[in-house]
Amino acid sequence: MKILIVEDAETLRNELQEFLSNYGYEVEAPDDFQNIMQYAMQDDVHLILLDINLPIYDGYYICREIRKNSEVPIIIVTSRDNEMDELMSINLGADDFIAKPYNTQILLARIENVLKRTYAHQQSSILLYKSLKLDLSNGTISYQHQQEELTKNEIKILHCLMKNKGRIVSREEMMEYLWSSDLFIDDNTLSVNVTRLRKKIESIGMINPIETRRGLGYILA
Amino acid sequence: MKLQRYIKERAIFLSMNIFLFVLVAFFLWLINVQAVVMIIVFVCWFGPLLLSYGLEFLKRKNFYDDLLQNLEALDQKYLLPEIIEEPNFLEGQILYDIIKTTDKQMHEHVKKYKDMQAEYRDYIEAWVHEVKTPIASSKLMFENHKNEVTKGIMEELEKIEGYVEQALYYARSSSASKDYMVKEFSLQACISKVLKKNAKAFIHKKIQLQLTEMDDVVYSDEKWIEFILHQIIVNSINYCDNKISLYTRKHEHSLILHIVDDGIGIDEKDIGRVFDKGFTGENGRQYRRSTGMGLYICKLLADKLHLGLTIQSTKGEGTEVQIIFPKSKVVLLES
Repeated sequence: MKILIVEDAETLRNELQEFLSNYGYEVEAPDDFQNIMQYAMQDDVHLILLDINLPIYDGYYICREIRKNSEVPIIIVTSRDNEMDELMSINLGADDFIAKPYNTQILLARIENVLKRTYAHQQSSILLYKSLKLDLSNGTISYQHQQEELTKNEIKILHCLMKNKGRIVSREEMMEYLWSSDLFIDDNTLSVNVTRLRKKIESIGMINPIETRRGLGYILA
Repeated sequence: MKLQRYIKERAIFLSMNIFLFVLVAFFLWLINVQAVVMIIVFVCWFGPLLLSYGLEFLKRKNFYDDLLQNLEALDQKYLLPEIIEEPNFLEGQILYDIIKTTDKQMHEHVKKYKDMQAEYRDYIEAWVHEVKTPIASSKLMFENHKNEVTKGIMEELEKIEGYVEQALYYARSSSASKDYMVKEFSLQACISKVLKKNAKAFIHKKIQLQLTEMDDVVYSDEKWIEFILHQIIVNSINYCDNKISLYTRKHEHSLILHIVDDGIGIDEKDIGRVFDKGFTGENGRQYRRSTGMGLYICKLLADKLHLGLTIQSTKGEGTEVQIIFPKSKVVLLES
């Protein structure tokens, strides 16, 4: 997935580029604002993060121009934070609006959401770990022809672990991920959910793959 | 205007006249003038005098009584010069001119300060937006280079962000302009945003959150409500023991959002003043540095949006904040 960052503050642009790259996105961050439309019209851009206060053309103008001949998803990222700006952005065809300084988890969640909405049909909704399949579209796991339904919390927990294959995910990190998806659970609930998730995975015949590393977190091993 | 006081002011002139008349009468009596003549002299002397005094008194009484009555009826007393009518006697006219001139000057003076405030407000707004970009960059730098040192910096950054936000909303709340936008939105979605913003604090302090499903829509400015909720929830996070719950109750004319924590509570002698500017109270002094601005700004914003904002607390048991959304759209939209 390729993301185009249109942002004139250099430090922010570079850091954002690094940050999104770390999360597996291909990122382009041009500083040639005169010809910004050329970058925006490239076919392989999947999402545009657009600032409003820009040199030469402002973000609203660029947004309107892009919408004239492209349906590429646009997220407006700006420090102008009031209802008017948000409404104007949405009216001009932007898909989402995030105010600076954003919480990075929320930014990632929004990007993921918009991408999922737009490219759902292209993207596989099935995640695989060893022979354990997680189907996000119907919320089930399956292992060697056995199936089990998961709850919202369990899906997210497993999703988070699968995305971070082979890496320890701390409880706090996991909870932040859940919170960014509107699942406001506390410490105890997380423990309970992990236990249930393990039982469900075992019930379909797989040996428990979720290890607890004391004091560190969980890992899919 | 009382007749008594009016006469009292002219007492010297009148008594001199009476004194003179007595002298004249005595002289007339010495030269054996008839009593009838003396009465005619008296009438000719005092008749016109009292008549002109009487007329003058009525004229003034009409004018000043009107003026006082208007003053009484006015909500904003300083608007009197706008409705004063030009009187038809000399002193009144002089007074009228003076009032008109000072009024004009006053308007110019007030306008100057209004402009200054608007200018200052615009600057604060621009500044806040300016400063948000470096804050955003710094936060991303932290994400890209996480370690123990940057973690501390991150926490401080988040505090800065909070204070910056406060400054912005204070500038917005205190200005005369109405730059908010009332529209329909889902309360749940708004609360969600605020909770996500504070996710780290909730998780770090292991706070149990009880959030009941809400399907309520309210009519207000979403950004302002977000700010108010943020302030209240941050307070709850700071002072709670380990539980915060949010729920709504529907009433006949309103929808009330309850935000309840199980924290240290607020002292009875402090509770009446928590919305005062700069008030920190016992808790602010004991537990952490507090600016005393958060709730004050919330109250200002709530008043502008015609929302109710109340706080109840029992020392040692917890605090409950209620945000009261009036149900009628009309109330909100006509503001």
